[in-house]
Amino acid sequence: MLRNAAIIGCGQTKHSGRRRDVSQAELVSEAVHNALEDAQVSMKEVNALVVGNMQGFGGVAQPELWIGDWIGAPGKPVLRIATGGTTGGSVGQGGFYAVMSGLYDIVVATAWEKHSDSKEAGATTGLLHVALANFFHAFGYGLSMKNLLATSAVGAAAGVAAYQARFYMHRSGCRSEHFDMVAAKCRRNAARNKYAHLQWPNCTPEDIHKTDVIVHPFRMGHVCPASDGASAIVIACEDIALKKCQRPAWVKGLASYSDEENQMQSESGGGVGVLDPSEQMGCRLSAMKAYAQAGIKDPQQEIDVAEIYQPVPSQELFFSEKLGLFDEGKAWIALEKGETEINGRMPCDPSGGVNATNAIGSSALQRILEAGLQVMGKAEDHQVPKKVRNAVAHGWGGVTNYVTVTVLGETPAPRR
Amino acid sequence: MAYLKDQRRETMMVEGSWNIGAYRYKGSTQLQEYVDGLKEKKLIGSLCPGCGKVIVQPRNICGRCHRRMDKRMVVSHKGTITCFVISPPIEKGKYKIIGIDPVEAGIIQEGAILVPVFVRFDGADSNINTILLNSSPEQVHIGMRVKAVFVENPEGKLSDLEGVEPLKE
Amino acid sequence: MQRRVAIVGYAQSEYQFDVPRTREDQVFDVVKAALRHAGILREEVDSVVTASSDFLDGRTISNVFLSMAVGAYQKDESKVEEDGTGALLYGLMRILAGTHDVVTVEAHTLASTINPHQILFYALDPLFDRQVGLLNDIAASAIQARMYMKKYSVPEEAVAMVSVKNLANAALNPLTHRKMPDLTVEEVLNSKIYYEPIRELMIPPITDGVCALILASEEKAREITDRPVWIEGVGTCQDHYLRERNLTQLESLQKAAAQAYEMAGIKDPYREIDVFEVSERFAHEELMISEALGLAREGRGQVLIEKGLTGLDGEIPINPSGGALSADPICATGLTRVIEAAKQIREEAENHQILGVTRALAHGQFGICAQKNTVFILGGDR
Repeated sequence: MLRNAAIIGCGQTKHSGRRRDVSQAELVSEAVHNALEDAQVSMKEVNALVVGNMQGFGGVAQPELWIGDWIGAPGKPVLRIATGGTTGGSVGQGGFYAVMSGLYDIVVATAWEKHSDSKEAGATTGLLHVALANFFHAFGYGLSMKNLLATSAVGAAAGVAAYQARFYMHRSGCRSEHFDMVAAKCRRNAARNKYAHLQWPNCTPEDIHKTDVIVHPFRMGHVCPASDGASAIVIACEDIALKKCQRPAWVKGLASYSDEENQMQSESGGGVGVLDPSEQMGCRLSAMKAYAQAGIKDPQQEIDVAEIYQPVPSQELFFSEKLGLFDEGKAWIALEKGETEINGRMPCDPSGGVNATNAIGSSALQRILEAGLQVMGKAEDHQVPKKVRNAVAHGWGGVTNYVTVTVLGETPAPRR
Repeated sequence: MAYLKDQRRETMMVEGSWNIGAYRYKGSTQLQEYVDGLKEKKLIGSLCPGCGKVIVQPRNICGRCHRRMDKRMVVSHKGTITCFVISPPIEKGKYKIIGIDPVEAGIIQEGAILVPVFVRFDGADSNINTILLNSSPEQVHIGMRVKAVFVENPEGKLSDLEGVEPLKE
Repeated sequence: MQRRVAIVGYAQSEYQFDVPRTREDQVFDVVKAALRHAGILREEVDSVVTASSDFLDGRTISNVFLSMAVGAYQKDESKVEEDGTGALLYGLMRILAGTHDVVTVEAHTLASTINPHQILFYALDPLFDRQVGLLNDIAASAIQARMYMKKYSVPEEAVAMVSVKNLANAALNPLTHRKMPDLTVEEVLNSKIYYEPIRELMIPPITDGVCALILASEEKAREITDRPVWIEGVGTCQDHYLRERNLTQLESLQKAAAQAYEMAGIKDPYREIDVFEVSERFAHEELMISEALGLAREGRGQVLIEKGLTGLDGEIPINPSGGALSADPICATGLTRVIEAAKQIREEAENHQILGVTRALAHGQFGICAQKNTVFILGGDR
C-alpha cells in the first residue's frame, strides 16, 4: 500500500423484516447521515462515493442514479460495485482502494438492501435468478421433474449451504447440535446490538433445537432472516483520519480472491471441478494475502475479533478455520469451550452477524463496519472486553465462490 | 438518529411491477453433447488438454489453464457419493414446480423423502448433482458406492439419467 | 498520481446484433485476445475488474459464471455495475494503491438478450416517474434534445450531421455495427421518428459487444511493451436525477473533464488533445459533450460540426472510430472508446487513424440523459 486509509465513521440503520417507515432512498440516507455524523464530516468534504446493492431485490435498475440525490452524490464521483453476496465487502474495499489510490481523500461507502420492497421472498427468488439462464438452458434439454423438485425441496438458498455443512461435518466431526450453539450465540449477541434484526436475549441451544428441520442438518432456527437495512462507512486518508478521529480503524490488508468457479454449475450447464464446496480456497487465498499485507504472521494470536459472513451457522465454523483463526476442523471444539463468545478468546460475530441480520447487499459491509467499531471501541454493548489490535471482516457470496477479507487494526499496516 | 423522518410512521406504498419480458439467452452446445451421450447411456465429460481434469457434464472453459476444454471423455457408470442432503417429507400443496403440484401430478408419493446427492463418477474430477434411488435416508453415507440409473428408453434428455442407486460389489 | 499506469494491451469483439455464440465464449475469446495483444499470460495478471449489468445480462450477479472466462480463477477480482470506464477507474485505483501491478479490465453487454431500453425504464424513480409511466430513456433524451436545441437555436441539420459523420467514420472501422458511408443529412432527417426530434439514425443500433484491456504499473508496463499508453488524467462525476437537473448542459461532464484536465495538466483541450472518443448515446449528445469538454462555448457545439472541425481531417476529430452511434453495447461502450483512443496513440487504428496523435481523450457515460460521466486522458511516450 502506498497510502494509508482508515475508517473514521460508521453508520447503520435499524434492521428489521419490514422497514415500512422509509423508502429505499430514505433508508440509504439514514445510514449515510449516521456515518457522517459519527465521523463529524459534512457531505461537502466528501470527495467520492462507492455504493452498491443487489438491484434485483429492490426492483430499481441502476438505483444509484435515483438514490444519489438522497445521499448528496450529485457533483461527485459515484462508483457502483455489485458482486452478489459480497457486494458490501466489495463496496467497502472499493472505498478503501479509492482512498489508497490517492485520487480521493474522503470517501463514503454505502450498501443497502430493502427486501420488503419485493412482494415475494426476495432471498429465494433472487438466488434462483443467479442460475436462471442456465436453468432455462437445462430445461430445453428435458430436465427431470424429480430433479427440479429436489432442488426446490432442499431450497435454492439453503441448498448449497446444506451441502457445505454436510461436507464440513464429515470432515471435522462436528454435529448439528453445534449449529444450535452457534445460532443461539448469534441471537444472544444480537440482543446486545441495538441495530440487529433477530434479537433473542438468553437464547439457548435448546431453544433453537425445538424448531423444525427444514432440510437436514438445518433447522428453522439456524437460518438467517431477510432484513431491510443499510450501512455506511466514512473512509479517510492518513492526514485527515488523524485530524478527525481519535481512534480510527486502519485498513491493514484487503483481498477478494474468487474460488475456483462455482458450486452449482458453470455457464451453460457444465459440471464443476470443486469437489468440496466447504473447502473455500478463495477464502484461504484472500486471508493469506490480507494477513501478509497487514504483517500478521499468526492470526490465531494476532487477530482479536472476527466478523464472519455466516447466513447459516456451519459457515461461521468452517470460515473461521479458513481465515486461520482455528486449526483445520477444530472450530467446533473452540465453540464448545466458549472461545467464540463475546468474552471468549476469539470472539466471532459479537454483533450477531449475518445469522441475525441479513440485508444481503449491506451484510458484508456491515461486517467491515462492525469490525471497525470493535477497533474504534465504539461497539457499545457488544464491545469485546479486551484490547482489539486487529479485527478481520469476511464476506462471502456469488455461488459460493466470492470472498472478501479485510483486516482492520489500531495502527496502520507496516510499510513495505 | 432521525434524519428525514421525525416520526416513524408507515409511508405510502405504491404498487410497481417489474415486467421485462423474456430474455433470449444463447445456449451452448456442450449440453447437447452430454444428452446425446445419455441417449447411448454414456456419461460424457470434457477433458482439459492443459491440466487433464475431466469435468462431467462437459464444460467449455478450464479456469485454471484459461483454455477451452475441447476434448471429450466417457466416464464410468460407477461412482462415489461425496455429499448428500435429506429433504423433509414431501407434502401435498407445499411445493409448486412451474405451476404443478408434484404430488397431485403423481411425480412423487406423498410423504416420500428425497435424498439429493453429489456423485463423483469414476474417471471424473467433478461432482454431479442427482438423486439417490432405491435406498433410504438411513443407509446413505459419504463414500457410498453407487451406479447410474438410466430410464429404459433414453431419448436424449437430461431426465434420461434418473439418479443413482447403491452398488452391490 | 502516486504511480504511472499504462494500458498495455486490448481487444474487442466484432460488434454485431445477435452474435450466435454464448456470452462465455465471446468473453473468453476477447480476454484471451487482449492478453495475447499485451503478450502476457494469465498468470501474470494480479487482478480482474469487470463491468456488466445484472438486468442487461438477465441474471443476478452477472459476473458469477464468467470468472473462468475472464481469467479470474483464484485472482483478486471485483465487478462494477456501470459503464466499462467505471471498471477501468477501479482497476486504476487498485494499481495506484500499490497493491496490484497488472489488472485485466473487461466489459460486456449482449444487448440482443433483451431490449436495453426496456431495462432503462426501470432506472426511473419507482415512486413517481415509473408510476406515471410517460417517460423512458429515449423520451427523456428527446426532452433533453428539444430543450437544448430550442435554447441555443440548434438546427436539426446540425444534429443530423453528427450521425452522418459518425456513421461514415464507422464504415472505416471493421468492428462497428452500423456502417453508412454515403449517408446524407436528408436521409437522417427522413428516418423514422422515435420521439420528436429523435429519429432512428440518431440512436445507436442494439449491439452485442465485449471488450477488454490490460492495465499495468510503470515498471511492469516497461517490461511488457515498448508502446505503453499512459493514463494521464481521470475524472468522473454523477449528476442530479432527471427532475432536478439542468438538462441543457452536461454539468457532471464539465466537472469530470475539469478533474481530468487538471490531473493531466491540460489548460487548452482544443490545442493540447489530438483526438476525442466520446460516448454519444444520441446524436445531439455529441454537441453537448463537445461543449462540456471545453471545445466550444456554451451552445456553440453546432459550429464545430458545421465547420467540419470534428471530422476525420478536422482540427479536433471526434469519434473517428464511429462512436457510440455506430455500436453501443451499453456497458462496453465507454471502454471501447478508451481502447479506440489507445489505438490512435499506438497508431493501430488502420483506416481511421489520425496522424500524429500523442494525446487522446476518452469518455464514457451511464444513466438516463448521460447522468454519470467519466473522462480519461491518455498519452503516449513523448
